[in-house]
Amino acid sequence: MKTLRLTSADIKIQYKYGFYLLYSFFTLFYVFILNIMPASWQKTTAVIMIYSDPAAMGLFFMGAIVLLEKSQMILNSLAVSPIKISQYINAKVLSLGLIGTIVGVIIALSAQSNNIITVIIAVFLSSVVFSLIGLIVAFKASSLNQFVIATVPFELILTAPPVITLFGYDNPWLILLPGVAAIKLLSGSYTNPFLLILIQLFWITVSYFICIKVVKKTFRQLGGCKV
Amino acid sequence: MINVKNLAFSYTKAPFMEDINFNVPKGEIFGFLGPSGAGKSTLQKILTGLILGYRGNAIVNGIEVKNRDNSFYENIGVDFEFPSLYEKLTARQNLKFFGSLYSKQLSDIDSLLNAVGLDRDADKKISEYSKGMKSRLNFIKALLHNPDILFLDEPTSGLDPANARTMKDMILTEKTKGKTIILTTHNMQDATELCDRVAFIVDGKIKVMDSPHSLIMLKGANKIEYSYIENGIKKKSNCLIAETVKDKTLNLLIASGNLRSIHSCEPTLNDIFIEVTGRKLE
Ligand SMILES: Nc1ncnc2c1ncn2[C@@H]1O[C@H](COP(=O)(O)OP(=O)(O)O)[C@@H](O)[C@H]1O
Ligand SMILES: [Mg+2]
Repeated sequence: MKTLRLTSADIKIQYKYGFYLLYSFFTLFYVFILNIMPASWQKTTAVIMIYSDPAAMGLFFMGAIVLLEKSQMILNSLAVSPIKISQYINAKVLSLGLIGTIVGVIIALSAQSNNIITVIIAVFLSSVVFSLIGLIVAFKASSLNQFVIATVPFELILTAPPVITLFGYDNPWLILLPGVAAIKLLSGSYTNPFLLILIQLFWITVSYFICIKVVKKTFRQLGGCKV
Repeated sequence: MINVKNLAFSYTKAPFMEDINFNVPKGEIFGFLGPSGAGKSTLQKILTGLILGYRGNAIVNGIEVKNRDNSFYENIGVDFEFPSLYEKLTARQNLKFFGSLYSKQLSDIDSLLNAVGLDRDADKKISEYSKGMKSRLNFIKALLHNPDILFLDEPTSGLDPANARTMKDMILTEKTKGKTIILTTHNMQDATELCDRVAFIVDGKIKVMDSPHSLIMLKGANKIEYSYIENGIKKKSNCLIAETVKDKTLNLLIASGNLRSIHSCEPTLNDIFIEVTGRKLE
């Protein structure tokens, strides 16, 4: 219950801070590009767009949100309120996952995707992975610059393998990477979708565990005591 | 409501906060009075669970703060010494958001805004607020969920006298509702006026602890002030009660019957603070 209340509050805050305007702008732009390109390119392009925008944007939006909350001393108020760390994280992840999924579906529909169910699952799950990593890095970073630099290796690991897979290079082991599993689900090129979902769930579990630890530690140190 | 026993803490290896002992019963306003850097906010952070690496006992509402869980906070309201608000949300949206964190029945947002004179600015963004307006909003944010224990860190600092007055009255109203209040301040007037008891804190230690009234009376009325007319001009002077014999002017005036007025003056809490701790408050 509280998680849902917090999620809706987070959605309102993200809206007020103008994130959704940015999302709408990108979505319109992407849909426009898709519509003017040759039909034969549409599917692959849409897959890249969905993966890079609604899913991956979570990483940067999360950074922006958390750094804002840090600088406006919001975390201190949250630390002396009855919410749990897990509720805080769930609300953040769900709010961005929800909007990301909606945008992903719009892009997929405008590219006449025929696997909308796996698109919904894949974009939501990858959004969660990206958001959790965004949270981890943002809680560790003390400035926007530090955040941007620290996300580079994660961006590389999450985007390079899926893109090379998309362009033909195939190694069965690569699907163990969260991004590759996501891209295969998005593009509909799979024989066993459950395995791909399972792989993503595995990565979500791992990053969720790390996220809880990192956020807890930051909250514990808000008072300036390092133990 | 609050029991602190042999509490010690330091941010570094060097000792800082040591040997802190006090109890605050329900319904009392207890003041931490001390100069900047004395450790008042640190003590509040320990009592509110923001600093857990302390030694000794800090028991708030029956719970050792170190072992608190999230439900501990349903009954605690904290007003930090800095604003803790979403800049791009309005005052009302901020209160709604922070209120949504609690499971308890909330106080009416409009009456709270009204009480601190923010009703007409309720729908303005915080980024357009002045420092004083932010302080007032930060204060009612701590009252929102009607907590039994309030921790107020320099709530009146940066407020104009009229708004400070309003806030002090609200603090006294909370007391009449049976709330227990910890008030941090370096303003001795606020402390004298609001606190049932104060602890003088300097360099992480409590130097003395009593009601403002007893502290003032303990030192007694140690000075007298008198006035007289000299060459047609009204003049004023003063001397310590213990040293009236040495004051030649005074003795002459008494002998000649030319005193216009004479009265004793009580020391302020400020004077006493300086006397007890050897330090100034501001
Ligand atoms: N986060 C922190 N890390 C290290 N030292 C701190 C921290 N916060 C405060 N201090 C130091 O602890 C002392 C007490 O600070 P504080 O409790 O804020 O004082 P007060 O509220 O009485 O002005 C000061 O010397 C201050 O520099
Ligand atoms: Mg302070």
